[in-house]
This record gives sequence, C-alpha cells and structure tokens, in this order.
Amino acid sequence: MDIIGLLIFPGLAFLLALAWFYEWLDRKFFARLQNRYGPLYTGSHGLLQPLADFIKLLAKEDIEPTAVDKPLFRGVPILILALPLTALFLIPMSGVNAFVHFEGDLIFTIFIMSLLAIMAFLGGWSSTNRFSTLGGLRAAMQTLGYEVPLAIVLIGPAIVARSLSITKIVEWQVVNGIWMIALAPIGFGITILATLAELEKVPFDIPGAETEIVAGWQTEFSGRKLALMRLALDIELVLAAGLTTALFLGGPSGPIALIPSVVWFLIKSTVVVLILSNLRALFARFKIDQMISGSWKYLVPLAILQIVILQLLLR
Amino acid sequence: MERELLRHLAKKPATHLYPFEKFEPIEGMRAKIEIDMTKCIGCGTCVFDCPAFALEMIGKGLTCDMKWYPMRCVYCGQCVESCPRNAIRQTYEFTLANTNKEELIYEFKRPKKE
Amino acid sequence: MSESVFTVPVGPQHPALKEPENITLTLDGEQIVDAKIRLGYVHRGAEKAFENRTYVQNLYLVERVCGICAMAHQLCYANNVEALLGVEAPPRAKYIRTIVAELERIHSHLLWVGVAGHEIGFDTLFMYTWQDREVALDLMERITGNRVLHATNSIGGVRRDITSDMIPQIKKGLAYLGERTKYYKKIALTEKTIAKRAVGVGVLKTQDAIALCAVGPTARASNIKRDVRKYDPYSAYDEIPFDIVTNDGCDVAARILVRIDELEQCARILEYAVDKLPQGPIKVRVPRSVPPGENVSLVEAPRGEDIHYCKSNGSDRPERYKIRAPTLANWASMKKMLIGGSMADVPIVLAAIDPCMSCTDRVAFVDAKSGKTWAWSYEQLKKYAQKRSER
Repeated sequence: MDIIGLLIFPGLAFLLALAWFYEWLDRKFFARLQNRYGPLYTGSHGLLQPLADFIKLLAKEDIEPTAVDKPLFRGVPILILALPLTALFLIPMSGVNAFVHFEGDLIFTIFIMSLLAIMAFLGGWSSTNRFSTLGGLRAAMQTLGYEVPLAIVLIGPAIVARSLSITKIVEWQVVNGIWMIALAPIGFGITILATLAELEKVPFDIPGAETEIVAGWQTEFSGRKLALMRLALDIELVLAAGLTTALFLGGPSGPIALIPSVVWFLIKSTVVVLILSNLRALFARFKIDQMISGSWKYLVPLAILQIVILQLLLR
Repeated sequence: MERELLRHLAKKPATHLYPFEKFEPIEGMRAKIEIDMTKCIGCGTCVFDCPAFALEMIGKGLTCDMKWYPMRCVYCGQCVESCPRNAIRQTYEFTLANTNKEELIYEFKRPKKE
Repeated sequence: MSESVFTVPVGPQHPALKEPENITLTLDGEQIVDAKIRLGYVHRGAEKAFENRTYVQNLYLVERVCGICAMAHQLCYANNVEALLGVEAPPRAKYIRTIVAELERIHSHLLWVGVAGHEIGFDTLFMYTWQDREVALDLMERITGNRVLHATNSIGGVRRDITSDMIPQIKKGLAYLGERTKYYKKIALTEKTIAKRAVGVGVLKTQDAIALCAVGPTARASNIKRDVRKYDPYSAYDEIPFDIVTNDGCDVAARILVRIDELEQCARILEYAVDKLPQGPIKVRVPRSVPPGENVSLVEAPRGEDIHYCKSNGSDRPERYKIRAPTLANWASMKKMLIGGSMADVPIVLAAIDPCMSCTDRVAFVDAKSGKTWAWSYEQLKKYAQKRSER
C-alpha cells in the first residue's frame, strides 16, 4: 500500500490543494473578466481565500431543521465529497499510469459522475423545503439533459484507443503523438458544455439558481455540511478538468521531456478551467425546459455524429 | 461579447482599493459641517430648518454655543443656506466613524472674551 | 386540482427581491397556476411625518421616499409647493432641474439593466452596467454634492448652480455613456441567452395594460404612448425636443429595449439642455407660510408617473400630503404577467416592472363590502401591533 501516494501525492493533500487552487483561479479569472479584483487580501493575491472560506464554514453553527430526513441529510455531504475523490484516483496526473487503473475505469468514472447528480436530488429531497425540492427536481431533470451526450462523447476516445481504461487512452495519445482533440473536436466542445451542466455553472446552474429558488438543493445545509459540499464541488471541478485533459488533451505529457509530467497536467487542466470560467461569464442562465430540449435537439445528434465520424476515420 | 470580456481582462480593475488607495473627494461634496462661532448671532434658523433635528442651541442669543449630532445629520446642507451670516460651511471630511458614542457629539463653543 | 400543486412563497425575504414584498405562488411542477400578492412591508408612516415638519424640512424627507428616484419626488414636491405659493422657478433653475432629473433617469435605468441581468444569471452585465453608472453618479456628485439623494431642489429654484467648468466634464461623461448605451443595445438585441429568457415572457397585452392602469416603461412596452413629460410638461420639458419611446413587444424583452432607448433619449435631452442653458438667477425668495389651497402635481419618475397631492392651511406645515408612486400602479398587472409562466420567469418578470417598494407602501383601511374608508390613530395602531405579536 503506497501510503505516500494515497495521502500526499497524487493523493489527498495534492487533490485538496489543487481543488482550492482551481477555485481561486476560477474566481479570479471570472472577476477579472468583469473588471474587478476577485479575492485580494487573504494570502498573496487572495490565494488562501478558498481555504479561509472552508475553515470559516467549518466553524459555523450547523443547523438541522427538525423535519429533515436525518440519515440522508447527514449522509449526502459525506458521499458527495467521497465519490469524486474516489474517481480522481483513476485519472493519470503524473506519469502515464494513474494511481489505480483497470480495464473499464472510464465507465466507472461516468457512473460516479451520474451518482453525483443523484446525490444532488437526494440532498434536495431530504431537506423537505419547498425550494430544495424544486432544486432537487431540477437537478434530476438536468441530468436527463447532459448525461446522454456526455456518455456518448466520452466513449469516442475509447473507440479510437480501443480500450476503456483512461490510462490506456492517455498512453495511446502519447505513443501516437496526437491528441484526441484533433480527431474529435466536436466531442471536446460537447464535453465542455456538459461539464458546465454537471458542475452546475452558468448557463446551466438551474438547480442552484440563486435568484429563483434561493439556493436550490443546497438551501438547508449549513456549517460543516456546507463546507464539505462546497469542497465537493471544487473536487468535481478537478475531476472534470482532469478527465477532459486525460481524454482529449493528452494527459500529463508534453513535448519538452525535462519538465515533469505533472506540470504538463497542471497546465492543460488550468486551460480547461479557464475555458469553463470564461463561458461562465459569457452567458445568462437557461430555463430547465430550454436546457433539456436544447440538449436533445442539438447535443445528442452532434454526439452521435462525432462517433460516426470517428468510426469512419478509423477505417 | 467575448471580445468585450477579453478587453476588460487587460484593463485595470475598476475597484477603488480604499483605504489603501488614496481617495480624492469630488469638488462640491457634502460632508462634515463647521460652525464659525465668531459669526454666529444665535438666531436659531439652522436649528429650526434642520430636517433631522441634528443641531442644538445651548443658551440663547449672542452668548449661545452650538451642538451638532453627526449621527443624526443627513449632510443635506440646509443649515449652510439658512444661516443669515454664512457662519456654517461644509467641508470634505467624511471619515467621521467612531467606536465611542460620547465622542460623536460635536460642540462648537464661542471663543471666550478675555 | 392535481396532487402535484404546492405553494411557494416568494418574499418577504428572497434573493430575487431588492425590497420586501410577498407573492404566494401556486405551482404545478414548474408552471405557475395562481399568484397572490401582499404588499406593505416597507410602510414607514412617511405621510404622517410630512404633517409634523415645515415645508423646508419636508424637502429632505420627501426625497427619502425612494433612493433611486429621489430627484423625481423632490421635484414633484417643489412644483407642488411652488404652485400653492403662486411662484415659478426662474428658467435657469428649470433647466438645471431637467439636467439632474435626466441624469437620475440614466442612473436608474442603468441600475435596472444590471439588476435584470443579475436576475437571469448574467452577472457580467450587472458588473458592466454598474461600472458605467458610476460615470453618471460622479457627474451628479459634481453638480449637486451627493451621488444619490441629491437635495438640489429648493422651493423656488435650485440650490446649486452649474458653473462653466462643470460643462466639459458633463459633455465627456455624456459621450462615454452614449457609446456604452449603443453597446448595451447591441447586447440586448443580439445576445441569444437573453432573448431566450426575455422574449415571450411576462406578456401584458395592450388592452390589459390600459385596463390595469400600467404606467411608465411597463406601459410604453405594451405600445401605450404616454409620458408625463409630453402631456403635462414641467420644468423645461416643453422647450426641449425628444421622442416618447414605445415598443409593441408587450414582453420583458420589450421593456428592456424601451429602457435602453430611453437612455438614448436622456442623452439627447441632456445635450440640448447643457448647450442651451439660459443665464439668470437660480432661485426666487419665497415666504415660509403657504396660503391655504390644494394642488396635485405629476412628474415622470424613471419608473412611471408619480403623483403628489398637497393640502395647505396657511401655516408653515402641510396639512395633508399624499404620494402615489408609479410602482403601485404597476403591481396590478403583475398577476396577469405571472400566471401561465414558469417559476424560472418569476425574478425577471418581477424585475421588469422595476419595483420600488419604498415608494409604494401606503396604508388605507377599506371595508370591501360597504366601501367605507377610515383611518386609525397612533394608539389604535400600537394596540393592534401589540396584539398581533403576542405569543
């Protein structure tokens, strides 16, 4: 058992630090696009702001309304933090091999991402608050919209590499010297959009629309539970960025051999995070019926088209 | 819209980092009042006209002192206009916050005749 | 009624609302089936407070009825009292009042565009419009001494003059605002995500708008061509050429476009007024006591038609002062606009009438069956409040 790998690198400590760093990056870039500063004073340039928010929330009072479904209400924040952390061990971050890899781990990752949506629904359901119920229902409906195109498009690189293991897909990209994005650009675009929907960021932050249903399914959580849930959302960002990097951008590999591979991974996933931040600042929020109908009218046919193109290219 | 976003990325942010950046008050700004007691004749027009009841006269006539409550004042400047001798003027001092409530009552006393 | 119907309260505390009001929605899934509106959370007893203060003190109380349309309320009050006194402000004062009133309209509409953007999740638009609004606020601070709550009117004229060194700054600010208005119009017309949220949402047909007495940009977006500045001109509006902006879309997108077009008209009025500013005194001396009489004055506040009524009795305090703010007239159309829409439309439809609850809340007792009205004394109100909050 590689304890150092499990707990420090590329394990828990590295992933937590990366999650907080990406939240800082997202907030700073989003703020700069809007001509304001973003976090500025905690730590140099506000780098410690996400950590400060986390510690502050841990210290706050944890209010549990009497009518909630207690086992679910307490279990959802823990599960929603544990699931993406599990999936992160399957993404190669340093070197071509991930910490854990087996044949079919791509399907496992997709499965975990759909479990996260069910967690959102359960969180809204167990809160027994009108706004939470609406938010949970919207989260479940949004899953109907983005799951199918995302799953179809993520299988594209697997078809090309002839393997369902993320490690093998990265290996294929390194060995053949070509990134999947060159073969499947539509797939990359759909992945970015579906990632926005999964992470509940504008234009798809419908389940947690602040001006409409207060905080959606997150309304009743406070104190420690809210701290864990916010951390879970950041870890989901790392997971989504890491998965996109591994499948489409060649994972932790780069042209200059002297620079360690983890640096290449960081650079590429930073680019993905910046693209997501930019899209967040560019659009207004959609309505749930527009999102689902748009997804089935445009994204699913494009995803199928992408797979057809890949099959034709392979011939 | 994307071009506009990227253009703003290159500009300096619009936030004014007060109090670390110096703040230049705009000319004509209304803030703390100052009463010149050598000109005050104790007529009481400012007390009568103040919409927030922020001015108080202690004593009467030419020997009165004035009290001003910055916590009640709305900084409208009506007293400046009402005074028949132009004894009140408005300055640019706006950093009047204080943690001690007793210090937030300003008294303008006449200079004692020797 | 199917079992999936449940009620959701929007307000009095809700992130979509800037001020408290209560709308109890009955939802079937995401569709709104019914809406019940309750107002009155910001009642402050302002109309009684007017009776206990002199006319000079009331100048400053009346502008605090609303922070965003402060100049409009103060202008209405000044016109009211001047009409009762039988005096008229000098021409230069009228032009200065017009200039500050139009600057206030610019700041209010830019604020509204930002708030509408925030309600549909478009935070970037919110940040950009509020940054440009700072230009208008800086101009107002230079002219009047304060960013909001300008207190630039006095009974008989204005309190401060526009000196010649302010004019280049005003022109530069207007040029910048004109450019940004063109950019916001382009976004409102071409940005697809805004179109998806605003077109066809919160529809108020023209005959409904007339029947429910809508005023201001809400009515003008339903193709009703009414503007107080044209049919009952005050200040310098009878001498300045401008157009009434209407739009026949009848939905939220039309209201956005009407307000952005009004920004263009404001810039046009301001340029004309600044160029043709007449020379002369800025105020006339008025006595402190007002002869007995009654007067009603109207002003086009940024949200619509603002009506003030004043009754004087010969002393230096008003006997009765009543305010009918524009938002109160627009609330009646809210139910029509909400029913049939979805929950996601509620914030933007609410924001589209530009609600200002501080202006709106007044209280009157009416017996619905007999039509009788009466008033309560302070003691009766206190007893009622104590009884209601007893546990």
